[in-house]
Amino acid sequence: MRDGIAIARLGIPAVSLVTEDFWPQGDFVAESLGMPDAPRLRLPHPVAGTGEANLSAVAEAIAPKIVEALAH
Amino acid sequence: MLTGLLQAVDEAAAVERLHDLECTDGLPVIVPTEARVARMALAAGLDRDLVLGRMGPAGGIATVEKVAVAAVMAGCLPDHMPVVIAAVRAVLDPRFDLTEMQSTTHCTAPLIVVNGPARQWCGPIASGFGALGPGHRANACIGRALRLAMINIGGGRPGTSDMALLGHPGKFTYCLAEDEEASPFQPLHVHSGFEADESVVTVIGAEAPHSVLFSGSGDDPERHERFLEILAIGLANLATNNAGLRGGAAVVVLNPEHAAILAGAGLSRVQVAERLCALASHPVAELARYEPAFAGKPGTRERLPCFDRPSDIVMLTAGGAGLYSMVMPTWCAGPHRNRAVQVRIDTDQVCEVPGADSG
Repeated sequence: MRDGIAIARLGIPAVSLVTEDFWPQGDFVAESLGMPDAPRLRLPHPVAGTGEANLSAVAEAIAPKIVEALAH
Repeated sequence: MLTGLLQAVDEAAAVERLHDLECTDGLPVIVPTEARVARMALAAGLDRDLVLGRMGPAGGIATVEKVAVAAVMAGCLPDHMPVVIAAVRAVLDPRFDLTEMQSTTHCTAPLIVVNGPARQWCGPIASGFGALGPGHRANACIGRALRLAMINIGGGRPGTSDMALLGHPGKFTYCLAEDEEASPFQPLHVHSGFEADESVVTVIGAEAPHSVLFSGSGDDPERHERFLEILAIGLANLATNNAGLRGGAAVVVLNPEHAAILAGAGLSRVQVAERLCALASHPVAELARYEPAFAGKPGTRERLPCFDRPSDIVMLTAGGAGLYSMVMPTWCAGPHRNRAVQVRIDTDQVCEVPGADSG
């Protein structure tokens, strides 16, 4: 979330990926850094350590949404 | 007044209000009335509106006054305030990576080690039996004040900004002094380049203490080496980030008896750290078995060291004399990889606060 906001502040389109369990923290960080509406997309939780097949499935599902978010 | 005021009908209602606002650590606090905060800020000998820095993850501005609020709530005496200020300065140092440390899922808390005359002037801050346990007011209150500052200025609250999956009890308070008088080694702060008569806090994010049992045999000429080996086993515990992530720091607390074994063998503080650094490592294959993401690709090295350099092992002497020393593994992450930060305790500015607490 912090990285996404830092990149956005450089004028570069950015979207943060936040897992379900960390969504409240994403809101907190966005609020704290003064960009409450910073673009973010929700991933299932957990992602780390779930194996290559699951990671690929998560990536395939989220990729079009990332493109869409960046295009806006 | 920089800090907002709350209203309550009495002290008990005020404490409940602070609990409701998530301003406490879950335990009752001393209500930070204007008069109490003023006394505490006065004890720092610094301007109340002096900005010590921005505290993450919320980015709250840590003024002397806000730190004084935390110190009052924690139950500190005015005498404790210079140590609290130094500890806050330490975690605000960019090398401490407080924002990242407050936000991590790992179980880490700032361990405050106090050296020099402030151990008495600002305490007494215990360094002997049970120094990390209950019963020592300064240890309990100074560590708690830092935590309350991290909650109310830094905004670290469980599940929304402090993402520690479980945390550990040292997140309530985690403070002790080095027993310089019982140590055969140079004190930690002198080893780091400070003068013996300076007072210093060494602050490092650390896991809960892990006990290291060692008795050995007095007839064994290699007893010191056996002790170093068992300490290194504690430091290199394969289940810790020090083994898995590597490249961070860790803390070793030697009880005076164990310290004497090492010093009796002619070892200096530096030599002890060098030996521990050399001993704490794991075969790449073993790391890859449990932490494939962190072990990396097989290279030319058969073993991977837990520590990059001996100075990453923070060593001090404390506790009662006996069979148990302690190691504190660390998170080992963040931009600076979990370094210890040292700050001089400014006792030159200290203002003696007259009179009793009138509330």
